[in-house]
Amino acid sequence: MLIEMKNITKRYGSLVANDNVSITLKKGEILAIVGENGAGKSTLMKILYGLESYDSGEILINGKPVRFSSPYDAIKNSIGMVQQHFMLFPPFSAAENIVYGNEPRRGIFFDKKEAYRLVEELCRKYNLYIDPKIKVKDCSVGLQQRIEILKVLFQQVDIIIFDEPSAVLAPQEIDNFLQTVLDLKKAGKSIILITHKLNEVMAVADYVTVMRNGKVVKKMPKHETSIEELSYLMVGHHLEEREIEEIEPEEEILAVSNLTKTSPDGVKLLDDVNISVRRGEIVGIAGVSGNGQSELIQCISGLEHADSGKIVLNGIDVTNASVSAIREAGCACIPEDRYYWGSAAEASLEENCIMYHYQRKSELMKNGFLNSRNVSLFSETILKDFDVKHTSSSQSMKDLSGGNAQKLIVGREYMQNTPLLIAAEPTRGIDIGAIEYIHGRLLEKRQKKDAILLISSELSEIIELSDRIYVMCSGRINGEFSRDEATREKIGYLMMGGKNDDEM
Amino acid sequence: MTMKCNRKFVTVASPFFAILIGLTFGAAVMIAVGTNPFSAYRQMFSKSFFDIYYLGQTLVKSAPIMLSGVAAAIAWRAGYINLGMQGQMCVGGLCATLVALFFPVKSWWVTILCFCVGMTAGAIWALIPTYLDYKFDVSIIICTLMMNYATNFLTDYFVSAPIKDTAGDGLAMQSPQIAEALRFYRFSPKNAMNTSVFLSIAVVILIAIFLKKSKFGYESKMTGLNREFARYGGIKSTKIMFMTMALSGALCGFAACIEIFGARYRYVNAMFTSTSYSWTGLMAMLIADYNPIMTMVYSIFLAGLAIGGQALQRSVGLPMQISDIIQCSITLFVSIKLLFNFQKLKINKKPNHLERDEEVEHE
Ligand SMILES: Nc1ncnc2c1ncn2[C@@H]1O[C@H](COP(=O)(O)OP(=O)(O)OP(=O)(O)O)[C@@H](O)[C@H]1O
Ligand SMILES: [Mg+2]
Repeated sequence: MLIEMKNITKRYGSLVANDNVSITLKKGEILAIVGENGAGKSTLMKILYGLESYDSGEILINGKPVRFSSPYDAIKNSIGMVQQHFMLFPPFSAAENIVYGNEPRRGIFFDKKEAYRLVEELCRKYNLYIDPKIKVKDCSVGLQQRIEILKVLFQQVDIIIFDEPSAVLAPQEIDNFLQTVLDLKKAGKSIILITHKLNEVMAVADYVTVMRNGKVVKKMPKHETSIEELSYLMVGHHLEEREIEEIEPEEEILAVSNLTKTSPDGVKLLDDVNISVRRGEIVGIAGVSGNGQSELIQCISGLEHADSGKIVLNGIDVTNASVSAIREAGCACIPEDRYYWGSAAEASLEENCIMYHYQRKSELMKNGFLNSRNVSLFSETILKDFDVKHTSSSQSMKDLSGGNAQKLIVGREYMQNTPLLIAAEPTRGIDIGAIEYIHGRLLEKRQKKDAILLISSELSEIIELSDRIYVMCSGRINGEFSRDEATREKIGYLMMGGKNDDEM
Repeated sequence: MTMKCNRKFVTVASPFFAILIGLTFGAAVMIAVGTNPFSAYRQMFSKSFFDIYYLGQTLVKSAPIMLSGVAAAIAWRAGYINLGMQGQMCVGGLCATLVALFFPVKSWWVTILCFCVGMTAGAIWALIPTYLDYKFDVSIIICTLMMNYATNFLTDYFVSAPIKDTAGDGLAMQSPQIAEALRFYRFSPKNAMNTSVFLSIAVVILIAIFLKKSKFGYESKMTGLNREFARYGGIKSTKIMFMTMALSGALCGFAACIEIFGARYRYVNAMFTSTSYSWTGLMAMLIADYNPIMTMVYSIFLAGLAIGGQALQRSVGLPMQISDIIQCSITLFVSIKLLFNFQKLKINKKPNHLERDEEVEHE
């Protein structure tokens, strides 16, 4: 047995993040770990990688007990990890990032040429191509991840841990990534893969371990299980097909006309964008990430200014208005990046929960002063309603698991109760049970005749929920579909820049 | 010890350890010069905290330290690094002294007027670099720091000519004394202890409550923790920036007034530079991790250290620099903690470039 983690227990105060967990990994095997948000997957992997200490239990590598006190020890024992948040230096080249820590030297100087050569050799060996000279800041998320993988491979490890690698990737990048994982297996590497996407599990894993509430529920070979069984084990009940009731949309709540934005170096980020969202509608925006969707919602929510065009929200002209004016006019926004915009990691859950709510609710803030009791009560409602696994509402945000942090943000923006909700990647990093719940809440909001503008790199999410779909490509709206017309193929074709003659 | 644990360990335990290590370092120096550190420390602390006379000195000295420390904390916790507390104190103190000297009426309410003028002057002095940052993107850190030197010359000019005290030997560069009616009440003529100490403590407590409970406190804290989050949540960042810096500067002016109307009764050349109140206050607030109440506690501790050092020099003959050595080593260990904080900042900023890169991909 290559790795055995035996009876690992890890407590955070009263919370047991890992409760007597045992997992095993054989050489050349791909082990997938799945489980609800806060089940303890990341914690277990951090323990294995030496990032986190544990209270009891034992780790054996090739039968020998080991105890790591830092990732350095783990790497020496041939274990590498690709973290969910990439740890790269953006201004430096791919090669410099990859060899960081083990730089080739000539005398006392860094040998750049040799670094380029080593990286090229590495790329050839694993069929993972990258230009060694490209700056990390010029790389897409998919490429950055490839650099991370190469960095781990450069450390000559045999075991690679991936914590939710696909959460930030576009569908095409995910396919590439899965192929890479299979290639790595062929090259003799052993892999642990954490993911919420069960189709990825079915595509590459040999074994699946299901965790729930800090415990291992079951480990089984992939071919003996199915997506249905896995989701049943994770969620505890069967997921049902949802019937989406048709409702007649009402008056227009958001009208964007001729919106244009050009980047400082002259690239058209938004090119004459026209969209309209009506009450009682979920409108999806499909597109390969980086084709203007982010800029569009940032302009609507006031985080960016447009060069020209007009945005009318709830009858009020909010073109280039301040964020607070736009929120006041009736817009809430689930941001794309939960740590960059969505939260303050060092602040408490309460402080994160009340953002902007305090401006509108006099029970939270009166005469410029917060009412702590009501702030706690209000925060608890969000945390409970959206099932955020936490120990106390005064704990800090950074101690929440990734998915639970996301649920808090979704809950906060949902509870703003605005006629328009912008939902950008609302279910990123969330487990299937919670996705089902959040989708249910979004549909409930639509039922109440509010409007939702949905952006997601998950095409299936857009197709399932949206009444109407706009497709964006190179900053332009490249086509529009109603619920009945929308198919994966048609949308995919327009996303790549094709033209839909029936529509245009 | 894992990396993560280390970081947590450092944030939780560092104030305590910084002080402990500082004291140990001081002990080592004492042993090196042949003094028993235990009896020296006992004397030092029994004097500065348990002897009525020295306790009074400690508290009087701690007042401007804690106020300027809290002033720094207000700005820093919102992410605006104000290093100009010294200059803001100089200007605030000078303006208040001018009013005290030249305002025709000498009555208790004029003290309040002087405080208002001092605070306004301090606030304006802090708003100049803020405006430059807002308008021309000049770094607040550098601008506030450099203004200290300019201000120092400016205020020293006043006490060397226009309002120089001519009554004494004429050597001292200082203003004449302010009228007796304007001064804070002293409990005994032998001791500097006076009512301004209580006012300072009350102000610190009020500010602590204000920062914890008020809208401004919440908004400035969120701005400091994650500016993008604050912006996304509709907090008006420009308003917060100006309010924060104005409040910080005003509190520096207040600290200067406390020193002048409570202890010195006049503006003395370099009175805020040679005493380095603001740097000690800065240190106290760094140890306290921006918490006003703890800033007050550490300010009293650091003031006690200095007063005890002076007492030690008189009784044991140990150079009072001993207390400087202790203070410096405490600073050193506090700055190690700061380094960790900056590292954390960098890690928190990571998602930033992910978003940017999605734009780049599209080119
Ligand atoms: N530093 C910490 N302090 C306190 N609690 C923590 C800390 N880190 C994690 N936890 C808690 O431990 C539990 C397990 O967290 P973990 O990150 O392992 O979950 P996960 O299975 O990776 O979930 P997700 O799918 O959401 O990423 C969560 O409830 C989380 O709140
Ligand atoms: Mg996780």
